[in-house]
Amino acid sequence: MTTLRELSDELRERLATVRLGGSESARKKHTDRGKLLPRERVDRLLDPGSPFLELSPLAAYGMYGTSVPSAGIITGIGRIAGREGVVVANDATVKGGTYYPITVKKHLRAQQVAADNRLPCVYLVDSGGAFLPMQDEVFPDREHFGRIFFNQANLSARGIPQIASVMGSCTAGGAYVPAMSDETVIVKDQGTIFLGGPPLVKAATGEVVSAEDLGGGLVHATKSGVVDHLATDDADALRIVRGIVDTLPSGLGLEARSARTSPSAGTVPEEPLEDPQGLYDVVPTDSRTPYDVREVIRRIVDGSRLQEFKQLYGETLVCGFAHIYGYPVGIVANNGILFSESALKGAHFIELCNQRGIPLVFLQNISGFMVGREYENGGIAKDGAKLVTAVACSVVPKFTVVIGGSFGAGNYGMCGRAYDPRFLWMWPNARISVMGGEQAASVLATVAGRPEDDEFKAPIREQYETQGNAYYATARLWDDGLIDPVDTRRVLGMGLAAAANAPVPAPNYGIFRM
Amino acid sequence: MISTGSISEGGSVGDGGSVGEGGSVGEGGSVGDGGSISERGLISGGVFIANRGEIAARIARTCERLGMPAVVSTGDYLDGDAQIAQARAAGATAVHPGYGFLSENAGFARAVIDAGLVWVGPPPEAMEAMARKDHAREIAVAAGVPVVPRGEDAGFPVLVKAAAGGGGKGMRVVRAAAELEEAKAAAAREAASAFGDDTLLIEKYVERGRHIEVQVFGDSHGNVLHLGTRDCSAQRRHQKVVEEAPAPTLTDDQRDLVQDSAVALARQVGYTNAGTVEFLLDEATGAAYFLEMNTRLQVEHPVTEEVTGLDLVALQLRVAVGEPLGLAQEDVTFTGHAIEVRVYAEDPYAGFLPQAGTASLVRWPAGARVDHALESGQVVSTSYDPMLGKVVVGAADRETARRALVRALDDTAILGITTNTGFLRQLVASDEFRDATVDTAWLDRHEPARPDPGEARMLAAWAQRLADPSYADSGPFAADGFRIAGPAAPVVIELDEPVVLTGEPPTQPPTARVSVHGVEIAHRGQRFVFTRPDPAAAHETVTDGTVASPMPGTVLDVRVGEGEAVEEGQVLGVVEAMKMELALRAPYAGTVTRVAAAVGAQVALGALLFEVTAHE
Repeated sequence: MTTLRELSDELRERLATVRLGGSESARKKHTDRGKLLPRERVDRLLDPGSPFLELSPLAAYGMYGTSVPSAGIITGIGRIAGREGVVVANDATVKGGTYYPITVKKHLRAQQVAADNRLPCVYLVDSGGAFLPMQDEVFPDREHFGRIFFNQANLSARGIPQIASVMGSCTAGGAYVPAMSDETVIVKDQGTIFLGGPPLVKAATGEVVSAEDLGGGLVHATKSGVVDHLATDDADALRIVRGIVDTLPSGLGLEARSARTSPSAGTVPEEPLEDPQGLYDVVPTDSRTPYDVREVIRRIVDGSRLQEFKQLYGETLVCGFAHIYGYPVGIVANNGILFSESALKGAHFIELCNQRGIPLVFLQNISGFMVGREYENGGIAKDGAKLVTAVACSVVPKFTVVIGGSFGAGNYGMCGRAYDPRFLWMWPNARISVMGGEQAASVLATVAGRPEDDEFKAPIREQYETQGNAYYATARLWDDGLIDPVDTRRVLGMGLAAAANAPVPAPNYGIFRM
Repeated sequence: MISTGSISEGGSVGDGGSVGEGGSVGEGGSVGDGGSISERGLISGGVFIANRGEIAARIARTCERLGMPAVVSTGDYLDGDAQIAQARAAGATAVHPGYGFLSENAGFARAVIDAGLVWVGPPPEAMEAMARKDHAREIAVAAGVPVVPRGEDAGFPVLVKAAAGGGGKGMRVVRAAAELEEAKAAAAREAASAFGDDTLLIEKYVERGRHIEVQVFGDSHGNVLHLGTRDCSAQRRHQKVVEEAPAPTLTDDQRDLVQDSAVALARQVGYTNAGTVEFLLDEATGAAYFLEMNTRLQVEHPVTEEVTGLDLVALQLRVAVGEPLGLAQEDVTFTGHAIEVRVYAEDPYAGFLPQAGTASLVRWPAGARVDHALESGQVVSTSYDPMLGKVVVGAADRETARRALVRALDDTAILGITTNTGFLRQLVASDEFRDATVDTAWLDRHEPARPDPGEARMLAAWAQRLADPSYADSGPFAADGFRIAGPAAPVVIELDEPVVLTGEPPTQPPTARVSVHGVEIAHRGQRFVFTRPDPAAAHETVTDGTVASPMPGTVLDVRVGEGEAVEEGQVLGVVEAMKMELALRAPYAGTVTRVAAAVGAQVALGALLFEVTAHE
């Protein structure tokens, strides 16, 4: 069996490969034109030394039968001119920066993060537009390409700045990214913006025109007015963008920011007493072996201190108050199967956190709610519903880390992706599916009247094994990325800091079935 | 870090140095007793210092130590009458001229004496005798002092120079008889304009020589003694750059010769007070020739103070009021070695061009004697002597002193204006200076190499980094380059070029000024300015040479014709529109290849009026 440490090493290796971007020849072609590689662009855009909370770097991993590293787009949160902002950067070394279906999803997810946390958006555009062979999965639907511009308009309407820097192609629909932005930069003799490129123009009207004359930097800066700033090269463009961000008013809604989503006054952030490296050893290699989740919490929170709520009641769910980098948090962590008592305890605790404006951190490792006559007759469904209602109607920022299994309704009660956590991360050992592969195989075999047919069950088990894998999940953006367990504290801290940019409304709930 | 004190306030001069409060000179030392001078009331009213800058501060410090009031002059330092009037008005009873300005003006000395004030300097007669070089030479010959062979007998090369001058003005080297007349005429003109006296000297020119000098002191009781040798061979165009004591290359015989000669000369002329007898040592032959006598306190006197433990200013004051020196030659002892450098506001890597500006940040080194009068925020103008101060280090031996001086210059930082500190550091650290092979023309033969900015740029990047408030951030967005499950991103600091920060932060924070425009830093004494690219600067937009009408209007004027060469920005024509006259300018230098405008013509918006083709 593979240990957690080995899984983390594997994650680091895979990320290292993905971070190279496109093929060596594609990268060389890119840099030979004097362009910075997209990750260099991000690094240079951010403040010197700024951390970068990259979102879903393993998007598209193994999805398309061809390598599409990071889905050809880099997204994440970093500091620009002293403030947190969302960066969306096309990688032209990956399929010309074209949008695969998952690329669109990733772009939209970044905009969602900006909306939720009220963070300005910077788009570093270098893209050929939609990936035409898959246009049916990219173009027409609600959450497809057009949604990018819908979001830009509405983010801008909410006072969330939209800034674009055109550093390469920006064709067809892509042309709307700079056009829809509040303020736009273009790199001279490098960036182009047009609805139809020279070949399309020739086909449509017979006009022969060069890309530069059609929609080059000079044209847009001096004639069309599509851009506002003309940069001499990538570095200059990034400097101009930093200058623009510097002019933004401080706090986009920060004036309404809840004091309780900020670091507690008088609380000095302190490292956990227990070394986070110990996480590798705390979590058993065999996921079926039980362990005390408090050992995980102790390696994440300030001073390893957890003030537990109802420690002696509903013991399979650990709830308690703690701090992460000084930010107060309410922690909800699985410590076994969910029973009625644990669900009620969780619902109560979540209400407390909402009442007090304290962000929630879910540490998810759940095989599900208890089943059986006693429990069904005891109303576990309505108690589970109370937990789900509390989670769904929470107004405080929620953060979910899947540190083990994520199965069935447990996923809902523990703030799975459908429950809009601000961020959801998975450890590389995580598994996610509607139920366990073995259980699914048995259920399906029984329904099919072949309960003992192993030949029938094997492919089902195989399917669940594949689809339950963390890489399968992260490739499809069921999360915001796989993380090394030792980075959990840091990543949660950055999430909390980002979330603190948005105000928290008053709580309100649907009907709790009593 | 920044020296804010002045000499009299117990600032950097003397801190750890030997002159002044807490220093070793005079403090219960051998000179002993200036107290008696003021007790006798001879200098009861105090000393008027007819000078400025570091030497004024230097003299004031000794006065203060001796309990005498010191008044520093203001105004025109060349107007003797005004200086005397000032001294009187201040109630001073003595005048110290420092160096330069009126210090070697016998007329001024006489005027001071006639005014009933004490002249802190040699007798005017001795000054006059030595001021004219031909006369000085005659006295030297009479005293048995070796002199440079003169005139046609000397054999070429010869040096033609002003008899009355100093400091290199009016000097010319002549290597062949044919050049002589012209050189003499030119030197005479320069001498006349610089000194008001066109008398010239012609003498043997030593191709490779060392500048050796002897500090002498005399009193009015017939005592004359020497305070040892100095070597000031490191010169640039006859201006001293580095001075040391004792002279490092002399044989015992040479040392005895120059010291005895200096004393003999002083005796011959009835010299009292401080003086310096200069010699040129021919490296080829080992012969030493008398050059001239400087009848004042020298800029480089501190190196002598360092090795003798004497306060030369205190001795001057003592002798000036008629007291005996109180020292016999055998009482003068020499300990260790001292080296001084002169810090100038000049750029050695741009032809030693004088620099002016505001010294926004000045840090003088601790652990060295620094005689200066430059503080942070002070304005340095080119209208005064560009010397900002002197850094002096004494140690047990020459190599130890040299190394300590290199360290002291590393710790010297002047921002806002460029100085020669980096050049001095480079020179003192060089193998040639270490081996004492720098002759008087060495600096003129060697163009200094501009120091590589690489190391300084990295330090500047660190300075920028350390000044960034986010550097100390220990929160989740701490600026450590964190990346999820990967190596930290490199930290890139934008200066004149992007710098990837490497290594650990410097243990000592660099002396730097960080601003939005860039970083100014001092490294190994050298000032570097790294300017960041300004994204707000104008971005060039023009690519083609067509000039179109910016509005619909009427052509008022056409000023060029086809084929005409134009400069960038030159007005090609004028269009009137909406009651405004709009000048149409050439986008760049080139040739007018098209003129489509005619005076009086109505033109539409965007109508092409001119075309300019750039020069290739």
